[in-house]
Amino acid sequence: MMVSGAPLDADVLVLGGGMAGAMAALAARAAGARTALVRRAPGATALSSGAISVAPDLGAAPDAPLTERDGPLEAARRIAATSRDHPYALAGVDRLGEALDFVARELPDLLAPRLDRARFLATPLGGAVGAALCQRSMAAGDLLAIRGRLAVAGFRSHVAFDPALVAAGLGRYAARGGPEAVALALDLPRIARGAERPHDIALALDAEGAAEALGEALRAALPAGAGAVLLPPVLGLDPRARVPERVAASAGVAIAETLSDVPSVPGVRLQRAIDARLAAAGVDVVTAAVAGARGPGETLRAGGRDVRAGSWVLATGRFVGGGIARRGVLVETALGLPVQAAEGSDAGVHLSARPAASLTARDRRAAQPLLSAGLRVDAALRPLDERGRPVHPRLFAAGAVIGGHEQATDGTGLGVAILTGWLAGRAAAGRGGA
Amino acid sequence: MRYDVIILGGGVNGAGVARDCAMRGLSVLLLEKADFGVGASGNSSGMIHGGIRYMLTDRKVTELSCRDSGYIQRIAPHLLFRIPFLIPFASRKEGITLRDRAEWYATEVYVGTYDLYQPLKRGKPSTRLSPEELYALEPALRPGLAGAVSIDEWGIDAFRLCVLNALAARALGADVRNWTEAREVLREGGKVRGVRFRDVLTGEEGEAEAPVIFNATGAWSPALARRSGVPVAMRPGKGVHLTLDRRHSNYGVICSAVDGRQMFVMPHESESIIGTTDDDYYGDPDDLEATNDEVEYLLEGAASLLPGIRRARITRAWCGLRTTIYAYGPNEDALSREHQLHDGAAHGAAGLLSLVGGKLASYRAQSEEATDRILELLGRPPVPCRTHEVPLPGGDEVPDPAALAREWPVAAPVAGRLVYRHGSRAREILQLLADDRRLGLVLCRDEAILAAEVVWCVRNELVRRLQDLRRRCRVAVGACGGVDCARIAAQLAGRELGWDEGRVRAELSDLLDQGWRERRSIADGAQLAQEELLRGATGLLEVPG
Repeated sequence: MMVSGAPLDADVLVLGGGMAGAMAALAARAAGARTALVRRAPGATALSSGAISVAPDLGAAPDAPLTERDGPLEAARRIAATSRDHPYALAGVDRLGEALDFVARELPDLLAPRLDRARFLATPLGGAVGAALCQRSMAAGDLLAIRGRLAVAGFRSHVAFDPALVAAGLGRYAARGGPEAVALALDLPRIARGAERPHDIALALDAEGAAEALGEALRAALPAGAGAVLLPPVLGLDPRARVPERVAASAGVAIAETLSDVPSVPGVRLQRAIDARLAAAGVDVVTAAVAGARGPGETLRAGGRDVRAGSWVLATGRFVGGGIARRGVLVETALGLPVQAAEGSDAGVHLSARPAASLTARDRRAAQPLLSAGLRVDAALRPLDERGRPVHPRLFAAGAVIGGHEQATDGTGLGVAILTGWLAGRAAAGRGGA
Repeated sequence: MRYDVIILGGGVNGAGVARDCAMRGLSVLLLEKADFGVGASGNSSGMIHGGIRYMLTDRKVTELSCRDSGYIQRIAPHLLFRIPFLIPFASRKEGITLRDRAEWYATEVYVGTYDLYQPLKRGKPSTRLSPEELYALEPALRPGLAGAVSIDEWGIDAFRLCVLNALAARALGADVRNWTEAREVLREGGKVRGVRFRDVLTGEEGEAEAPVIFNATGAWSPALARRSGVPVAMRPGKGVHLTLDRRHSNYGVICSAVDGRQMFVMPHESESIIGTTDDDYYGDPDDLEATNDEVEYLLEGAASLLPGIRRARITRAWCGLRTTIYAYGPNEDALSREHQLHDGAAHGAAGLLSLVGGKLASYRAQSEEATDRILELLGRPPVPCRTHEVPLPGGDEVPDPAALAREWPVAAPVAGRLVYRHGSRAREILQLLADDRRLGLVLCRDEAILAAEVVWCVRNELVRRLQDLRRRCRVAVGACGGVDCARIAAQLAGRELGWDEGRVRAELSDLLDQGWRERRSIADGAQLAQEELLRGATGLLEVPG
């Protein structure tokens, strides 16, 4: 039986509850707007690496020291200057720093304070990725912050993480200012047999005593001169359990986890912190699929409730999030807005009906027009129709539903979510230019 | 190095001939420029059928095909599975015409005749189904069908069939080298005397000598022939298949494509396959990708009987080149599927035997015939062929998965897939858990790949590149494209093979490239979301080290 709740009247309605939607809702709340957020399920944010890469310095010479690479804001400015369809170019990057400070303030327990430069954080395969913001559990793994050797520790029962491989991979950065890395294999104390998947280990480490036992095991095995220990990305599912801090306290050394691939414990942690913050900030969250949405001012039926708001922010994500889909042709799923794709010098709605193969390049590593398809927006983040006019004066878009960028090849995914979410939330609350 | 025979090509024919020659006491070198089965064999429909279409021309061929299908079941019982097919009675126009009825009757008689040979391959006799019975079995068929007739066939993992033949040859003393390319056929006085080869991974070059060279390079024959001056006439045809993420139907369904050619939708292992196109191909055999119009051709044909296919999730589009016997004139689907052995003597290359045409289902008989010819060319007395009696590796017994699941800490469905791929060798694989319980980790829940299986294949099945594991145990082949398994498989393989971190990274990238080439033309719906997730998770953006 569907339980019907009271009608929900708000100033701002946000569709989507990942990073972009959350930023929009929190920014609207901060501007004093009554805010409702309707979301279907966790999307790409919960599957992300757990760190926030805003704009990697793709132009740097491979052998340049890590310290000489452009910081995230500078790199974002370059992207905005060279790539005119990128949301950084459309929305402007001048206020990116402000938006990043906003998210760091909103999630203070989870995120480490921002530096001027990128932090260089390890991947589970022993690569390094530049991130503008990261979780506190990752900050001590910044390759430029480690004094002494970096001990890469794996658990013998956890086949998925190979510390020797990670240490060898990170060793490549030693000549660019990174630390010397050594591998270390540990038995994971007090963890039941059979707990081999990342989420099982993370859950086990949340329990009382488990993180401390791991810390003690680490202290006993620590190689001489170790300035920090890098662990697989399994340091607790619940941010409130403070697993990294507890491990560090009992090990007597700085502790960090690597970024994650999928399935991602840090991604789940990020989503949980966002959810907790939305509740604390007084955003009305409705978890339900949306069907038959008509637009700002119109009643939206979601989860048995009628939701009405004068301003809407569409933050439904792209393919993983479900905001954009391809069903023979590219479609926007909530309101049926026109989807744009860009291939070479040709761009527009007409490309959305192209066959998949002609919107992709043979080289997997190349930018893929199909995967960067999405809405086109104006400078105020309002989606545009086929003729380039705003669809509705009070309809805004944020995050991956906006096209023109692809996380996999330009690394701007969560940076776009934060910037456009923050801007769209403010604009929807009526504080666009303020 | 001197051998009796050098075999070029590690498809089912090359590997099959290598096994037969080794069993008959010849010293054998097998060279495969990539990995076993990467060409026509592994990219075939994966069927061990009984050759029903040959009944029109020569029933003897059908009888031989059925008998050989029975033999393949005998030597690799774990690797075959039954696929019952339905041939629905569909009228082309509104209303059923007399001509339709005559056609259906003919089909029924035709299939009934095929029943005579079914016992040779343990096939069940055909059944005439009323419309009610048909829709009870396959409710997803479009309305308005007048019934159907069934025929029973068998499916197989064609990649594993190739590698098992190569492994069997190796166990009998053959030198078997994958990722080793024959650069040139060496000749002297009108006869072949050997080949010059190059290991494409290490760059090592060498020469091997043999009085007989068996060329089973399929669509790569013309390229080899160009370098050796011996023309091999053939008409390569490109065949595209689509894979769906699950078993879309209970039965195989024969349908008619827009141009009237026959095609099918069939359940195959845990997936369904739609096949196949058949078009002349003039391009580079190393540069083969399915195109959008081929994908659409297959979907339209399949949807003509199973309209729900339009909403199904396509996970891959893959293709191979069949090498049919050269003929100028006929349409592709009318070309003979027979095989021929060409002797190079007329072109000053006596001792070079080239195979053109043939089919997966009859590989064993083709290999037997070729091996007889090889013995003849060598001037050796005939030795009886035993490839139909001796099991392929792991084919001696099919263990009970439920019993294995009780004995080892693995779920029964995982044990089932392990037995399917490895037969009695599933026991050896599970034995690895006795020393290292971590290897009980299931890397892929779609394909039920155990860490132990990856390690065992790397140690025992001539794995030289990470992508070889696609064909040994389906790493990164399933719907997720490797999100779960690819990195861990790379780590396990790297540890076994002593790869440094740079090589691990390069192999992982190469593995993912293979998948991308099979998926980019079908990226749609949920599969496109998966592609986005996979790309995001597999680190295209690290800081150069």
